[in-house]
Amino acid sequence: MRTCRGAYLGGALLLVGTNLCGLAIPWLLKLAIEELQHPASGRFTPGQYGAMIAAAAVGQGIIRVFSRTTLLNAGRRIEYLLREDLYGKLLTLDRTYFSNWRTGDILSRLANDLTNVRMLLGFGVLSVLNTFIVYTAALILLTRISPFLTVCAIAPFPLMIFIVKKLSASMFKTSKRMQEALSRLTTRVEENVSAAAVVKAYCREDGEIETFRQACDGYSDASMAVAKIRGFMLPIMASTGAFGTLIILFVGGAQVVSGELTLGGFVAFNGYLAMLVWPTIMLGWILNLVQRGAASMARLGEILNASAELVEPTDPVDPGEIRGEVEFRNLTFSYGATEMLRGITLKIPAGSRVGIVGVVGSGKSTLVRMIPRLFPVPDGTVFVDGVDLNRMSLEKIRAAVGFVPQEGFLFSRSIAENVAYGKPGAGREEIERAVRIAGLAGDVARFPQGLETLVGERGVTLSGGQRQRVSIARALLKEPSILVLDDPLSAVDADTEEEILSALSGYYGERTVLIVSHRLSPLRGCDQIIVLEQGAIVEQGSHEELLELGGRYAAIHKEEQLKAEIERL
Amino acid sequence: MHFGGIYEDEIVGKMYDRRLMGRFFPYLLPYRRLIAAALVLLPFVAAAKLVQPWILKLAIDDHITKGVMAGLPSLAALFLGVILAESLLMFAQVYLLQYVGQKVMYDIRVQLFSHIQRLSARFFDRTPVGSLVSRLTSDIEVLGEMFAAGIVTVVGDVLVLAGIVGIMLFMNVKLSLVTFSVLPFLIWTAFAFRKWMRAAFRQVRARQSNLSSFLTESIGGMAVVQLFNRERDEAREFRRLNTEYMESNLPVITWDAALYAVVETLSSVAVALIIWYGGGEIVRGTLSFGALVAFIQYIERFFSPIRDLSAKYSVMQGAMASLERIFTLLDNQALEPALLAPAATGAGKEKGVSCQTAPDEAGSSICFNDIWFAYSEDAFVLKDFSLQMRRGEKVALVGETGGGKTTVTRLLSRLYDVNRGSITVDGADIREIPLKTLRKRIGVVLQDPYLFSGTVAYNISLGDPEALKRVEKAAAVVGADRLIRELPNGFEEEVRERGVNFSAGERQLISFARAVAFDPDILVLDEATASVDTASERLIQRGLEGLMHGRTTLVVAHRLSTIRDADRIVVIHHGEKMEEGTHAELMDAKGVYYRLYQLQFKD
Repeated sequence: MRTCRGAYLGGALLLVGTNLCGLAIPWLLKLAIEELQHPASGRFTPGQYGAMIAAAAVGQGIIRVFSRTTLLNAGRRIEYLLREDLYGKLLTLDRTYFSNWRTGDILSRLANDLTNVRMLLGFGVLSVLNTFIVYTAALILLTRISPFLTVCAIAPFPLMIFIVKKLSASMFKTSKRMQEALSRLTTRVEENVSAAAVVKAYCREDGEIETFRQACDGYSDASMAVAKIRGFMLPIMASTGAFGTLIILFVGGAQVVSGELTLGGFVAFNGYLAMLVWPTIMLGWILNLVQRGAASMARLGEILNASAELVEPTDPVDPGEIRGEVEFRNLTFSYGATEMLRGITLKIPAGSRVGIVGVVGSGKSTLVRMIPRLFPVPDGTVFVDGVDLNRMSLEKIRAAVGFVPQEGFLFSRSIAENVAYGKPGAGREEIERAVRIAGLAGDVARFPQGLETLVGERGVTLSGGQRQRVSIARALLKEPSILVLDDPLSAVDADTEEEILSALSGYYGERTVLIVSHRLSPLRGCDQIIVLEQGAIVEQGSHEELLELGGRYAAIHKEEQLKAEIERL
Repeated sequence: MHFGGIYEDEIVGKMYDRRLMGRFFPYLLPYRRLIAAALVLLPFVAAAKLVQPWILKLAIDDHITKGVMAGLPSLAALFLGVILAESLLMFAQVYLLQYVGQKVMYDIRVQLFSHIQRLSARFFDRTPVGSLVSRLTSDIEVLGEMFAAGIVTVVGDVLVLAGIVGIMLFMNVKLSLVTFSVLPFLIWTAFAFRKWMRAAFRQVRARQSNLSSFLTESIGGMAVVQLFNRERDEAREFRRLNTEYMESNLPVITWDAALYAVVETLSSVAVALIIWYGGGEIVRGTLSFGALVAFIQYIERFFSPIRDLSAKYSVMQGAMASLERIFTLLDNQALEPALLAPAATGAGKEKGVSCQTAPDEAGSSICFNDIWFAYSEDAFVLKDFSLQMRRGEKVALVGETGGGKTTVTRLLSRLYDVNRGSITVDGADIREIPLKTLRKRIGVVLQDPYLFSGTVAYNISLGDPEALKRVEKAAAVVGADRLIRELPNGFEEEVRERGVNFSAGERQLISFARAVAFDPDILVLDEATASVDTASERLIQRGLEGLMHGRTTLVVAHRLSTIRDADRIVVIHHGEKMEEGTHAELMDAKGVYYRLYQLQFKD
């Protein structure tokens, strides 16, 4: 808003100019009629008055263009800046935030709520300023024509303001309800379209249409409630304005008869009052805009004021080149009401390899997500190269960590662009090397356009395994000091897995590597392995040590071996 | 990196306004009674508007200038009555039309949504989610604005305009003609602006769609953006799209302001003409003061709907652009193959080819006959693939990723149609089985288990009343019941968007339960046991054994352990069938399977 102060000021001045021209017209009319009634006293001919009116009209038109474009452009400009801020904010929010919000909801806020705010700041401001200027100027001129008549004409206005205030309260509530209904509808569409394959596989088209109908119903009802209140306002506003005309006709007519008022004054009075009618009607509409805009601004505020739990340190410590030593000190972390990690203490020397195993929901993924701070990390619990993660800049740590999530998200861009995502401008050779290590080279060679093959939205045209490997290649290309693999080969077949694992072990070098896996085969060659259960480390040691221990790890190992033996028969 | 091209929503080809309106008209038909009621009110509203200046004229000519007070109060009372009537009628009219508008929006929304449900998997592969969302939300919203802005009352405005012209001509022909001399300019302006604004609006809508696609994807992939420190680049790309969108709006604002100003100016110029010419008439005594005042009032009322017309026109243009996009989507015939005319799919072309094993023998359940398939031209993913499955048989597809295993299952569900060859279920070509019948017989567990927002129970039943009854049993079959009961709200636990509050393994268990709840006789598991730990896998394995009993099952397996019990194993390599047989046979053959097996379990 502040950045556009100049535009608003200029726009307001231009509006004053427009209205001065506009207000001159009834006054010229008044003079012209007085002239016609008493030709002797006049200074100008009707033709000259006509020319003056036309000149005022042209002036009004020209200034009008500038005043409207200035103010409405300012509204657009603020919308633009606000959208920029919103998106900038979204970029800083963490996983906890996005898991609590639906994408459809966020999108709806960015589209519809932003439109409402823009309407308020563009058209709304324009109309408010216009109304204010017209009211002030017209009231002054009306009083000059006849103070008594003016008081009579504006007598119904307080009543109108009272009614409008009453209506506006319920307007606010219904507007909000309508926006929420629209948000729900958007979410339904978003999910339906994203999950088209599921809907088709289960023949749920009819069911989906039914739930969509319900969402539409909810939205229609809310919209009609808004329309009803708005429709109610219109005649109230209009008749209040017209009431004034009625009073002039009755009182003013008598005054003209008694000679207190000239016919020209009567006509001009009528003209000014007519000028008030439109802004008065608009007032109801503006009120609607303001209500909607305020409700929407509040909803946008929920995004803008979302506390980024990932706070950049005020005084970041720069550990220099990150070697990759990772240490967890008594880390306990809750997600909502559930405790995901309990008292994790673990030291990972730089350049070593750690395997993490555990059952579904044991906290494996949560633990490794702490390292690139995908979740807010409690102070004094996670250290990299001896520095508390919270004291290191996000950019620094994330640049040092190559993270491969379970389900690789791909952008609707080419494979090369997806692989080079973390390192824009990477050379073709680098990309090819990463693709090769990730075991994707053969697949890419089979695509007609090779690396330039476009990946459909969310990578539909790639198989799950191919998607995972693109996301591995993406992490490798960064040349990270710490490589985190969160069960990245789950959708890859054994043959390819073996190939990738051996290519990766050549790549590891001095890097610290954390591998999460629900099987033991990818953990070969790990310096230490930890077993997680309900968020706590229950076993820890090398492969041999854990086998020696004869606990859970040994049990899993035995089970896998047994299976292998049975099948070998 | 410049990837704008991908988000560009094509600016659609020419479809004229009249044609669009012609297509839109049938949507109004079901509400013709309500619209008729609103239209019946129109002449009354118009009359109320036209009478007001006339009353003023009578008051001036018969009372005020003559100094006759008697009768003035009754004229004032009449005026009041007219105004109140106008307000009430307007309210009724606006409300009726808004109601119709909501109904029409609802109908179009549901029709469009239903149409999207019928579109093919190929369509979804290449259409961004964001653009479909904006078709169903903002584009239809714009249509709603058309009703809210009172476009339909344009008919009423025309009525008022005609009335004003009539009354003015009746009062004074010459003065009327002088006043009307501004009309040609007005008409020219209206037509010229029409063309300019339309082009500008198209650009706005197209850029809005680009912005929305970008946002959808960016928000979906936020974790990746953040992990790779790409916030600044994404922000830069976003700024580019955002700037383009804002800039496309500026010409629209300028045209709109100019049109408004031109109409307003012409209206005042008309008043000036009345003063100039009418003044002379009064001096000559051929025009009364009352008539002059009435003339001025009429001319103001004449231009005021035209002035609003520019606002209405903006809305109308927006609505046209939206209608065009809505109709383009409705016209998209990328329907599911089964919904196309049989001739277009090539169904039955190769009818002669039947199962290569004797079909009668124990009723061969599923047959893939010499299948060829490519997602895009000539890049065949499957080459001459054949497979026969007996009823109740469990066949495992193994091979490297991208080898075509998943494609085989998609073809069976007819998400895509084969290029050559045929697939039969119980001897019938699947292209001749109604799509719903076919899909209801097949239970699918996808690679990526998709969860909807809603409860766990909803996610298992997907809202199907029959499946809902089997939710708990289905969960028990796959061993998910224990896990679900441990949730604070059990089966009623809310699943947040895409199941983010569940782990990958839990999501998979839920999607298994989903397949069980629909009780299919054919089961397709696509890498179903992937990313589940050994303990859960054991649980699932047990559940699946029960589920698979008596069902023909096709498993896409990456883990050899999950196919241990398969009756038959088919090895697919580069889209071709390399080996086929039981585990023991394939191990003896010492071929591809043998190698895969050795790799998986060697230590």
